[in-house]
Amino acid sequence: MNKIHKINKIPPPIAILNSKNLLSIEGMNKLEINSLLDRADYFADLDPLKIIKTLNGYVILNVFFENSTRTRVSFELAGRRLGAEVINISVDKSSIKKGESLLDTANTLSAMKPNLLIVRHPESGAPKLFSDYLNCSIVNAGDGRHEHPTQALLDALTIRRRLGRIEGLKIAICGDILNSRVARSNIHLLTTLGVEVRCIAPPTLMPKSLKNLGVNCFNSLKDGINNVNAIMLLRLQSERMSGTESPSKREYYRFYGLDEEKLSMAHHDAVIMHPGPMNRGVEIASSLADNEDRSLIKTQVEIGVAIRMATIEAVYNAQK
Amino acid sequence: MHKNKKPILLKNIRVIDASQNLDQEMNIIINNGIISYFENSKKNIPFNEKDFRSVNCKDKILSPGIFDLRVYLNETNNENVSILKNAAFKSGVLKMGILPFQKPLLDNPIMIEHLIEKTNFNNDNFFYPYGGATKELKGNEIAELGLMAEVGAIGFTDAPNCIQDSLVMRRVMSYAKMLEKPILQNPEDKSLAGLTSSNSTTIQGEMNEGEVSTRLGLVGIPSCAEVMIVERDLRLAELTGVHYHVSNVSTKETVEVIKRAKLNDIKITCDTSPPYFSLNELELSTYDTSFKLSPPLRNEEDRIAIQNAIFDDTIDVITSDHKPMSNDTKILPFTSASTGASGIETLLPLTLNLLNKSDVSMMNILKKITLNPSKLLKVEIPKIKSNEKANFIMFDPNEQYLINKDALETSPTPFHGRPVQGKNYMSMMNGEIVFDNLDLL
Repeated sequence: MNKIHKINKIPPPIAILNSKNLLSIEGMNKLEINSLLDRADYFADLDPLKIIKTLNGYVILNVFFENSTRTRVSFELAGRRLGAEVINISVDKSSIKKGESLLDTANTLSAMKPNLLIVRHPESGAPKLFSDYLNCSIVNAGDGRHEHPTQALLDALTIRRRLGRIEGLKIAICGDILNSRVARSNIHLLTTLGVEVRCIAPPTLMPKSLKNLGVNCFNSLKDGINNVNAIMLLRLQSERMSGTESPSKREYYRFYGLDEEKLSMAHHDAVIMHPGPMNRGVEIASSLADNEDRSLIKTQVEIGVAIRMATIEAVYNAQK
Repeated sequence: MHKNKKPILLKNIRVIDASQNLDQEMNIIINNGIISYFENSKKNIPFNEKDFRSVNCKDKILSPGIFDLRVYLNETNNENVSILKNAAFKSGVLKMGILPFQKPLLDNPIMIEHLIEKTNFNNDNFFYPYGGATKELKGNEIAELGLMAEVGAIGFTDAPNCIQDSLVMRRVMSYAKMLEKPILQNPEDKSLAGLTSSNSTTIQGEMNEGEVSTRLGLVGIPSCAEVMIVERDLRLAELTGVHYHVSNVSTKETVEVIKRAKLNDIKITCDTSPPYFSLNELELSTYDTSFKLSPPLRNEEDRIAIQNAIFDDTIDVITSDHKPMSNDTKILPFTSASTGASGIETLLPLTLNLLNKSDVSMMNILKKITLNPSKLLKVEIPKIKSNEKANFIMFDPNEQYLINKDALETSPTPFHGRPVQGKNYMSMMNGEIVFDNLDLL
């Protein structure tokens, strides 16, 4: 595979954010998104040892109310590479239930005067609540079914680095769109950048009025991926595949699991993406997941750190 | 308390009392709490004005007090009772129905008696309790409706819960029919209103299902979850002959079904509350939990349908659906936050705002908060006439202001910062001035 050669050696400027928070992709403009992608693209090619640690003394709290390994580590690494202090706090949901309200927790954390809170929470809108009551910056690392902005940014950059562009592409998002924050962020981001977005899901997992977000909706995978340049698969929770939203795993795989045959409907060099962790043999055939010509799943993780570096730096800059 | 003072003379006041079909400018004298003079303002007053505390009430309206059909007290303790009473008097509410959902629940005769005693009911006829329709309001077993009716329950409801089981509903209705009491239902098909996964955890729906819920990633409640229950209940109401009342109508479809049912011989009434004719689901777009209500705010089409249903009398009553919540339960992520909002203090101005939306008469609008609830519950409201105890409110229908959450006694309000018109100036109950903004006391 050809890598796109970079002629421009001048590093792109620090990304522009119109707010000191990154809560959602919805509401961001093309300029903000592209500046983040450009800056992250630069970071992605940089030797980590050569990065100037401009964020010395900057304190980041990673506040995760929901289990996560990859996103937490990715943000931590991003912060550390820029020279910031990153402290991980995993807030046990049960201790929250014992009495302390979310806002009390937030205020306690705020008293330690962090510069940035990176928040993951199982409930939609929780980072917005933090931003309403705290002075520091908030970056949303995934909230309920709402958004996961940095995931969408890293997905976009992964595609751009591989296919050379984003505008004008046809991209399919397939799976549990109803419950997916990754899908929502991707829909907003890709439509903003001029992508023809196609959402594919069984009717039980397709949210209402999704078309109003500027996408085309399909119940058939084969119709939906016709001639697309990239396919983003979404993770399904196992309880959704046992008679509630979908009749069974095997039926889901039969109609929505991506295999060689269904992939042949897509553009001849279409790429496959997945935010992980994936269910092999449910969303995707195992052999496809490991096919490095097609699957960008590993690259997504790599790019994640660069995107989060660009994000943290942009938030830091917006605070000034 | 004003016995040693001069009698009160209210001059040129527009009296609107739907129960007497009265809408006239009058002069009124209140002596020792009794209306002693009640004549058209064109007639000369046959007394010396100096002997009175005289107020020129030009452009103000005198009306029977508001009868708020459905109010949550939350807990029968002195503090709650007095906060609610004060908020009510200030806002022109002089009677209210108390819903059984509180701590402890009003689902048995002892608790009803306790409430009646605690709220000094026999003295001021202010709090009218409903009884729970089923034990613990769980919708499984019929509660002691007869015993509760005996000690003063005015109707039955499981609000805010909806009775899901058809057989239970039929039985409750048959009993309510025998006791000649209405049954109030907050219609929402529970299984349709949330997400159920196979490990049997149910995620409750959080807002109206539609584009906004899709954007926000909140669990949607389809609007048909409301009308489905109403349609079923109408069949059962026909079967049992009960007086069936639909609480908080919020969708276009429900309005249509009720309109049709009213043409038939079914005894059906319904109400709505100001959020459903004033607001729509777009208010939720910042995850502001003061808009988290049950039923959820619907779309603009529904809002307009509700508003029109008030004008064409499909909707009989406007109620506050007052359900105050502490900040501790509201300043939370949307999913965890409690459902409900205060309403009693904003009921009058928001109801009067409807006058700007149509050429409906003042009397017709006031009916929805005075005469209609009293008819529905068969509780007489005192008439405004000569030789009666003074029982009325006086308000300025034109005064404009912004609703300010900090000026309200109860929280949260979904109407903070909204321009309204209409302000209560005086409330008199059983001959006593219980709220006075005219400096009469």
